[in-house]
Amino acid sequence: MGKRPFLGWFVTPGALCALGFAAAMAAVLQYAFRAHIPGSLEVGGFTWANFEGMLRPLYATVFLQTVWLCALTAFFSLLLGYPLAHALVHARSTAWKSVLLVVAVTPLFLGEVVRTYSWLTVLGNSGFVNGALLWLGLIDGPIQFMFTRFGVALALVHVTLPVMVIMLAAALSHIDRDYERAAHSLGAGPVRSFLTVTLPLSMPGILAGTGTAFAWTFSAFATPQIIGGGRVNMVSNLVYQLGFSSFNFPFAASLSIVGLALTAAVLGLLRIGTMRLERVGT
Amino acid sequence: MAAEPRPALQVDGVTRRFGAVTALADAWLKVPPGEFLTLLGPSGCGKSTLLNLIAGFLEPDQGEIFIDGALVTEVPVWQRGIGMVFQNYALFPHMTVAKNVAYGLAARRVPREEAARRVAEALALVKLTGMEERKPRQLSGGQQQRVALARALVIRPKLLLLDEPFSALDRNLRGAMQVELREIQRSLGIATVFVTHDQGEALSMSDRVAVMSEGRIRQVGTPEAIYRRPADRFVAEFVGDVNRLPARLVAVEGETALVECGACRLSVPAAPLAAAAAGTAVDLFLRPEQIRTAPPGTPGLTEAVVAARAFHGDHADLHCDAPGMAQRLLLRVPGHAAEGPGARLALLPDPSADAVAFPISG
Repeated sequence: MGKRPFLGWFVTPGALCALGFAAAMAAVLQYAFRAHIPGSLEVGGFTWANFEGMLRPLYATVFLQTVWLCALTAFFSLLLGYPLAHALVHARSTAWKSVLLVVAVTPLFLGEVVRTYSWLTVLGNSGFVNGALLWLGLIDGPIQFMFTRFGVALALVHVTLPVMVIMLAAALSHIDRDYERAAHSLGAGPVRSFLTVTLPLSMPGILAGTGTAFAWTFSAFATPQIIGGGRVNMVSNLVYQLGFSSFNFPFAASLSIVGLALTAAVLGLLRIGTMRLERVGT
Repeated sequence: MAAEPRPALQVDGVTRRFGAVTALADAWLKVPPGEFLTLLGPSGCGKSTLLNLIAGFLEPDQGEIFIDGALVTEVPVWQRGIGMVFQNYALFPHMTVAKNVAYGLAARRVPREEAARRVAEALALVKLTGMEERKPRQLSGGQQQRVALARALVIRPKLLLLDEPFSALDRNLRGAMQVELREIQRSLGIATVFVTHDQGEALSMSDRVAVMSEGRIRQVGTPEAIYRRPADRFVAEFVGDVNRLPARLVAVEGETALVECGACRLSVPAAPLAAAAAGTAVDLFLRPEQIRTAPPGTPGLTEAVVAARAFHGDHADLHCDAPGMAQRLLLRVPGHAAEGPGARLALLPDPSADAVAFPISG
């Protein structure tokens, strides 16, 4: 390193970016502890009021709703993602593998807004699902999917699924196939060998995938904004409303900080869980 | 005629292809109860394919497989009643030694007290009593192998399959484990199919050896028969060290044929030479210990010059150059024999030599 000092210059762009991010974070952090002066973009002196205000039912509910939606999303992406990842890793033909990979990962390459708008055409009152059900005569009037927690959760699962599948597939592909073969040779059928061997050995992947899905969903904005239509709010939507409708930057900043802390706490807990798992086995 | 005992394993004309490659062509095998049979061959010879077909991890394109008299060609692995030791042991890393060994019993819904008793017995058999609560990664390679063996044996399989189980062990441990495995196998009287590419291991451990190459079983026989009467040149060259000398077919008389090499005439099995006419050139195969040395000038197979001598304690290997031979000749002489590099020798066949000859290929 010392003999090629010019290499140090390549760090400059990265360092500048890091500096920018750090400055922004510092700004948000200091805003969070400032008093809001109604009708003005200027902020007042130091205060804890923003964090106290968060405990009011109106905001606390949004936090609870966010955590609940994150948990639901993580759980259902795990439920859907595991079989997909398993099939992806164990597929014999490369063609089938490619098909599965495309199906699993495509949502990642569509912008969040485009993806969310496509759900409008599926879930809307005159959308595909209601249209089909009406045509079949199974329902008399359209079912309300839009602006419901179910609709938001569905779209969030769609957004989160690729991340979950990629993380689970990585974990599953690292499990030696001989474990499963050994279980079969010892008399365990596919279900037993899955439950007693493959599933426990993929636990680190499950924890990592669930944690990431949780954190990934916590910052969701466009999906609850469009599908929720203001009736299903998550923390980001609240931050947006407070910041750009009420111009209450200090409160918006404190909400962001708490959201960030909550995400970090969840990831930390998962890390501890994974470490314990590693100590026990694998 | 006495009824033949029901074979523990029977492979009837099994063929398996992977795309355009025939991994195993028309394999026939019968393993009687209690026999230790080795599938021996270089990598890619089809031995692992055959083992996987017997275990049920692969399905044959043609042919049938019977285990203990029952047709199992369509039966899934978990219902075949086999025990298998994998090359990497495949011990479940998240389970203790006891849980690993008990796995097959749990799958068979053996009552808990009986399972505990059988796990203890199996661990005693492989001398691992006291290790019950260890995790596989806390064990040495040899101990892991014992657990794998106990796990495969505790379910009292009809057939034990061993996939190169010694390849991960160091040399000293390997020898001890080979002896021990064979003792356990014999005491339980369990029919065993063992896969290896190590011909020394195959000769020392097996009741019978099936030598394989290019997807075919070339010869099945006792280690002695394989070593002394190889059926073709592949078997002769793959099993043990061997010298190839140019010779000429003199005559075929019933079961034996007479070949001439240098000033010597040797009788060899006639079967491999059935298609050759008298007078044609053939390759004569002699083991290193079947060649004697004599002072130069003695009429013999050929004259040779010692190029190198490797001392092995009880014996020494002499690598010799002989005129007109592309390959060096290998002689195994007693360790106290004095011939060193540069010595001129005449080579004679041992009177009791089991020489074989094959038509020149290609």
